[in-house]
Amino acid sequence: MLFEFKNITYTLGNEGPRNIRVSGTLYNGEVLIVQGPSGAGKSTLFRILSRLQSGIGGEAFLQGKSWLQIPSSIWRANVHYLAQKPALFDGSVADNLAIPFAIRIRNSKALDVNRARELMERLLLPAQLWNQDARTLSGGEASRLAFIRAVLINPMVLLLDEPTAALDEPARQSMYQVLSEWLTTTDRAALLISHTDDYRQLEHLSFLNIKPLGGHERYGK
Amino acid sequence: MENSIIPISNFQLALTVILVLITGGISSVLKLGLLKSLIWGTIRTFVQLTLVGYALTYIFAINNLWLIIAIITLMCYIASRTAVKRTSNVPDYPTLLAFLSLLASTYLVGSIVVTLIISPDPWYSARIAIPIFGMILGNAMNGIALSLDRLYGEARSRTTEIEAMLAFGATPWEAIRDSVREAVRAGMTPTINSLMVVGLVSLPGMMTGQILGGADPSEAVRYQIVVMLMIAAAVAIGCLVLVGLSYKKLFNNDGALQPFYGVRP
Repeated sequence: MLFEFKNITYTLGNEGPRNIRVSGTLYNGEVLIVQGPSGAGKSTLFRILSRLQSGIGGEAFLQGKSWLQIPSSIWRANVHYLAQKPALFDGSVADNLAIPFAIRIRNSKALDVNRARELMERLLLPAQLWNQDARTLSGGEASRLAFIRAVLINPMVLLLDEPTAALDEPARQSMYQVLSEWLTTTDRAALLISHTDDYRQLEHLSFLNIKPLGGHERYGK
Repeated sequence: MENSIIPISNFQLALTVILVLITGGISSVLKLGLLKSLIWGTIRTFVQLTLVGYALTYIFAINNLWLIIAIITLMCYIASRTAVKRTSNVPDYPTLLAFLSLLASTYLVGSIVVTLIISPDPWYSARIAIPIFGMILGNAMNGIALSLDRLYGEARSRTTEIEAMLAFGATPWEAIRDSVREAVRAGMTPTINSLMVVGLVSLPGMMTGQILGGADPSEAVRYQIVVMLMIAAAVAIGCLVLVGLSYKKLFNNDGALQPFYGVRP
């Protein structure tokens, strides 16, 4: 078992707050599709699982080790949350791809430029974007840039929050293609929020349905 | 060359009513609604400064080291409360950190200036120490208010980037350091800018005061140079200490950005 979360409990809404409690399990290569209507707390679940905010109960495990035993920065690099709104930093596309490699946790590693360029090509981003100011990218280009950056830091679990929302059909297919290849290496899994069922080309799917009024339901693969 | 201060008699002081009437006239003609504040402000100016005048006369006469320290520390406390109140971006900010940073910058820079540069006799002369520390404090207060406000403003406007850095595995410091840099810069910029134009646009208050008091302008200039540089140093230290102490408050125990400051999608 690669990633497991048990009874993750959190509260949504200030007026008439409702508690949500969810559990899930992922083995190598699996993808858990998180479903539920808007405002059901799907993004909040991802933020809690990646320790960008705290829930009110529950525990998560990476390769059997509790998150209580893993420092938050190491946990976040391994259970990596890719936000719906892509984060762009000052500088070129290349600068943006290199940013995670400037922090201490990866002191010995540098950005694999060839791999980055290859991923750009796979995701239908023209090579000349490499030196372009990242702030000038379109929404679809920016979300692919953020996805490439998330893949390059090589987490064990990717938490993808509507990664294809800004993409057209060819770009969408190319992203899922890259994702399913990424998942074939051992010790990798993904959770995915998507409002459409465009993820059908992925394999080893399971589903988690978050209901707005506190209940939750799991149904099998 | 007249070399002494020209005293202002009570009658002459009363003539300042003319100035108040001008200000009040403008306010009432244009219906600015400032008349009440103006009258209250005028009364407070008279009362507060008169009391301070008496208090300083007394304090200078006693010239007790412990009394001086007590007064300066109290001034630091009042300044820290004022600085914190002035920051619109900062919710429920405890005065303690602002107080600590003002204490550190004021005492460090003030002691250097008073004991090493001016070196009066005795070294803790209240007549030198209190105005010098007061000037440092007033400027450091403005500086830390600006940088504190900027730190929280940056953390809000850069939430996406800060959380992305955390998600890459950055420590809170690594995630926030660009905002910290901007905050310190924001606090120091007005002081650095004032170094450029001092004497060209206006004569600084202290120098004006010394000249009106009969001092030789070239002597007043020397004091003003010391004052400008000590203010710059104090603002730099104050901003650095405060922002360095405060950035952690933006994160929770698990090193995640505090929810209040994060704007959720």
